Amino acid sequence: MTVLDLARLQFALTAGLHFLFVVLTLGLAPLVAILNTRWVRTGNPVHERMTRFWGQIYVINYALGIVTGLVMEFQIGLNWSGLIHYAGDVFGAPLAMETLVAFFLESTFLGLWIFGWHRLPRGLHLACIWLVALTAYASAFLIMLANSFLQQPVGVVDKGDRLELVDFGALLTNSTLVFSFPHVIAAGLVAGSFVMIGASAYGLRRHPGERELFTRSLRLGVVVAALGTTMTSGFGYAQFAGVQEGKFTGEGPAQVALGVMTLIGDNLILVALFVLLPLVRWLPRWRRLHPFLIALTPLPFIAAIAGWLARELGRQPWVIWQKLSVADALTPGLTPGMLIASSAAFTGVVGVLAIIDYLLIARVIRRGPTRLALGAGPEVPEPAPVPSL
Amino acid sequence: MELLWFALFAVLLIGYFALEGFDLGVGLLLPLLGRTRERRDRMIAAMAPFVLANEVWLVAVAGTLAGVYPEVESRVIPGLYPLVMAALIAWIARDAGLWFRRRLDGAGWRAVWDAMITLGSLGLTVTWGLALYALATGFTAPPLHPFGLALAAAVTVACAFHGWTFLCWRAPGLTGTARTGRGLAISALGTAAPAIAVVAAGAARLLSGTTTPAALSVLSLVVLPLVPVLAAAQLWVWRTFGRDAGDRGLPSFF
Repeated sequence: MTVLDLARLQFALTAGLHFLFVVLTLGLAPLVAILNTRWVRTGNPVHERMTRFWGQIYVINYALGIVTGLVMEFQIGLNWSGLIHYAGDVFGAPLAMETLVAFFLESTFLGLWIFGWHRLPRGLHLACIWLVALTAYASAFLIMLANSFLQQPVGVVDKGDRLELVDFGALLTNSTLVFSFPHVIAAGLVAGSFVMIGASAYGLRRHPGERELFTRSLRLGVVVAALGTTMTSGFGYAQFAGVQEGKFTGEGPAQVALGVMTLIGDNLILVALFVLLPLVRWLPRWRRLHPFLIALTPLPFIAAIAGWLARELGRQPWVIWQKLSVADALTPGLTPGMLIASSAAFTGVVGVLAIIDYLLIARVIRRGPTRLALGAGPEVPEPAPVPSL
Repeated sequence: MELLWFALFAVLLIGYFALEGFDLGVGLLLPLLGRTRERRDRMIAAMAPFVLANEVWLVAVAGTLAGVYPEVESRVIPGLYPLVMAALIAWIARDAGLWFRRRLDGAGWRAVWDAMITLGSLGLTVTWGLALYALATGFTAPPLHPFGLALAAAVTVACAFHGWTFLCWRAPGLTGTARTGRGLAISALGTAAPAIAVVAAGAARLLSGTTTPAALSVLSLVVLPLVPVLAAAQLWVWRTFGRDAGDRGLPSFF
């Protein structure tokens, strides 16, 4: 393997892992915010427990989103400084906006939401999770804007050894952005809703005492899945109007990935619209269908990864379409030793953490909505003597 | 405009040391002051509500480098390749420790992730010391030069002291000593001293090394009006989790 192969593999693995966690974050954030709103409006304890249960899954998933995101941000500087040198003027702007404003606020408000339980007034606490969802969407928009620029470099002039920004508005209306951003947002809703459907179906079988909580969750999941799959497909097919010429001709890995995504997407929309939605009233009681619902859970994630692969592999060998090749984007002077060390370290550490994270999420689902750490009230003091403060 | 962005960059980098410095310090002190599980829980609980709002300052520093100072970024980050890599791994280990430590109850599980918090914090303070030395010498010195190691030790001690001051301020019952907000501010300033030196030394290069005027004005238009919002969000964190909110018997998520 050459240095270039190693650097590409390292970025692909981190970006792919990052996307797996982020797509669920994007989907669960508004769902948790909706549940939290219902709780604040009705005061119904089942809504509080739903907020805490799905919130706990959301924040455990979030942890790996942060970790993989950190690696991504610094990896661009470490391995792809040629990209920053050539296009930092353009590509750096949305990245700076994302980290300096969107993620800065998202992380701050998430901290307020997680630790503000029982401290903040309920209305303000609710505002925090909506601000988290809003800033997460803003982050997604800015990252898709940066990515769309790589797909189709608009609004710039070529100054020989670098690109100079002349029209930021052109970046906002980039034809590879206008449909891909809502497509990704909707794909997030699909991932979030199918996790909710699958976990609720499992919960209905395993925790008969939590019938109401999982029935309500399953129904919310089905409604959002119907909406999400329709939007994902709609914006997905609409994207082809703006795709670069020659991107998906021939028969390479990009075309295979595209085929996988479309196959899963088309079937999910059929299932969501013509099976789940019409049966939404009876679904929680039809236990025989529940294993099928559980089995659907990984599909949106496979489709999301396939979609990302299609978009990114289709761009090869360019990092910026027909402007800068991936080979020229590489940091000059990298040695195979540096790449092997950093690849092993990053993918090894992040890979292990990702597996642990998924096991922890599975454990929350298996244990059900009892003894949740998120939003737990004051501990009942033990009768044993407490050390004096 | 260049001056405004330089000021923002300086505030972000200095603020990172002043704020995240005490999180790292508490992590360093975990095995020293946290002999029992209950004490470790209380130490982490004291800093937990601040961590997400503090570590993000460095994310913003990196974003500003990419957007405002792309030429500086494309030289500095690869120039510090092994150090940036080590710092990232340490940062990840520290964060994973915080997020995971209370997710299972076993003593072994807790011990592993508490050790990750301490080792991660130590890794970050040491690599920061080495990185500051490398920056000061323009990447010419060997990575493990005695001066660099001395700086690494200094940053580590400063963070530990800052972490101790923070605990005295927010959870005086835990340390047996109380410190005022002013004491915390002074130790923050001390911890941020190397960052202040770096920003001052690099001022000329940063002021002349901004991206093109067109890109800078777009960034200014979007980011600068939102700076008061960023400040307000941070102030909200400090108002909500200030000193008297510490010991109310609420179990901490971290």
